[in-house]
Amino acid sequence: MSEAKVLTIKSAFGYKFLKYFEIAKVNYYNSAAYLLNLLSRSATVILRIWIFAQLYKVTYAASGVSEIGGMTVAMIVWSLMMTQSFQSSTRPPISQLIDEEVKTGALAYSINRPYSYIFFHMAGFFGRSLPNLFINLSVGLLAALILVGPLDFSFYGIAFGMTLLFFGYILDFFINLIIGLLAFWVEDTSAFTWIYSKGQMIFGGIILPIALFPEYLQKIAEILPFSLMYYGAARIAVNFDFYLFQKFIFMQFVWIFVFGLSAIYLFNKGIKNVSINGG
Amino acid sequence: MFLSTAAKYISLSWEIIKINILSAMEYRISFLTQVFGMIVNDVGFALLWVIFFLKFPSVNGWTFQDSALLFAISTVSFSFVMISARGAHYLARNIAKGELDYFLSFPKNVLWHVSISKTEISAIGDLIFGFIIFFFSGSISFEKFGLFLIVSVFAAIIFFGFTIITQSLSFYFGNFEEAADQLFHALLGFTLYPQTTFYGALKFIMFTIIPAFFVATLPVELIKNFSWKWFLVLVVFAICIFIAAVIVFNRGLKKYESGNLINVKM
Repeated sequence: MSEAKVLTIKSAFGYKFLKYFEIAKVNYYNSAAYLLNLLSRSATVILRIWIFAQLYKVTYAASGVSEIGGMTVAMIVWSLMMTQSFQSSTRPPISQLIDEEVKTGALAYSINRPYSYIFFHMAGFFGRSLPNLFINLSVGLLAALILVGPLDFSFYGIAFGMTLLFFGYILDFFINLIIGLLAFWVEDTSAFTWIYSKGQMIFGGIILPIALFPEYLQKIAEILPFSLMYYGAARIAVNFDFYLFQKFIFMQFVWIFVFGLSAIYLFNKGIKNVSINGG
Repeated sequence: MFLSTAAKYISLSWEIIKINILSAMEYRISFLTQVFGMIVNDVGFALLWVIFFLKFPSVNGWTFQDSALLFAISTVSFSFVMISARGAHYLARNIAKGELDYFLSFPKNVLWHVSISKTEISAIGDLIFGFIIFFFSGSISFEKFGLFLIVSVFAAIIFFGFTIITQSLSFYFGNFEEAADQLFHALLGFTLYPQTTFYGALKFIMFTIIPAFFVATLPVELIKNFSWKWFLVLVVFAICIFIAAVIVFNRGLKKYESGNLINVKM
């Protein structure tokens, strides 16, 4: 391959990447502009962590144990702080946005533009979530420090946790995209959003860490997509375990593959309805 | 005079709620999806606590049956508000965008009209779930069911009063929509956990800024061990927060600036 051709391919790739990076940046600034909203969300995070700290301190004391499933009260509170921060940073759910675009027909305008509709929303999703994540984590970190004290984090725990979080966001995005795209066929997708968020709440370690589940339920929960979004990242960050990391990342790839392909299939099938109805 | 006015408002409220529900039922699939979706959603939440209590059967004397009673009261009282006064949750948005004009042009009370203007259909699912889970709350009797309904009505009044106060802050601070929403969810959040685990400053917050004690802890305690003294406390608190809400709203309304928005409601 000639040098000029390699350069053209490189710049074309760079241009495409830059486009989505700019979309993420616009959404980042848009989300960071509303400080009162960010702060009110953070206050809710503090309150929840406070509730969890008291709930698990009392529960562990009542059970007369200091560690369950390798998790101390401090580990539980830190892990819940993270799952809450990760998950609430994605609010409001992107499924609502896509649902609205499908219903109002705004999607018809987007699909004619020179970008991939799916990557456009994925970049927006990351851009919007980042400022929320920074604020939630900073506030949550302070709250956890005051309420249960510091935790002995390892470099590997944080690095591998961040990797799982990145893919967790992608997985969450694809599932939300599927729910939003269902608006092509059903009148109201809000029920799917509730059920999905409840699945996250039960099996996603948002209120009750999976390490505290009975063993048979733990095995089921660890392979479901709900735990692989945010619980996996938090669990690895607070108590690093390489075997568990391998298991989580393998299952993440499996689910991203399944939901990614399903989302693309539904999107392609759905936009045919747009052209038939004239937008 | 007062009684006849109250009777007129009650009868009119009933008619409006009926119309709201009937018009939503026109979209049958959407209606059923919302109601049954919410029931599945609530059952999912109860399941989480089934798992919790499998691991920890009792937390300071609080068992799954107590949580079932707590969910029954919170979902039923919450649904009373969402079915009859969903519009209250849009108040901050209406104020910030200057969209209250529509309600100001009618002869009826503005706060009443804004509140009753919307019905949350999914709350019917909450209501059904609340009645079902009540039967998982241990020793049930006809008297306890009656008491459950009465305390739920007072808890609903507190939910409503709290919503009006927080949403009306938009009159004073401009855009307060998300903050009001977060405060409401903070109140609701307290009603999800075993009430025997709260202590210290958090308990103080539950008595003051976020009155979760009066919508969660106290109603559960009243059904388990009824006492006239504590029942009176609940009633007085509900009346006080309702009056405070009306005052905050009416004073705020004087500061309201129209958005010159003309809406036609079909």
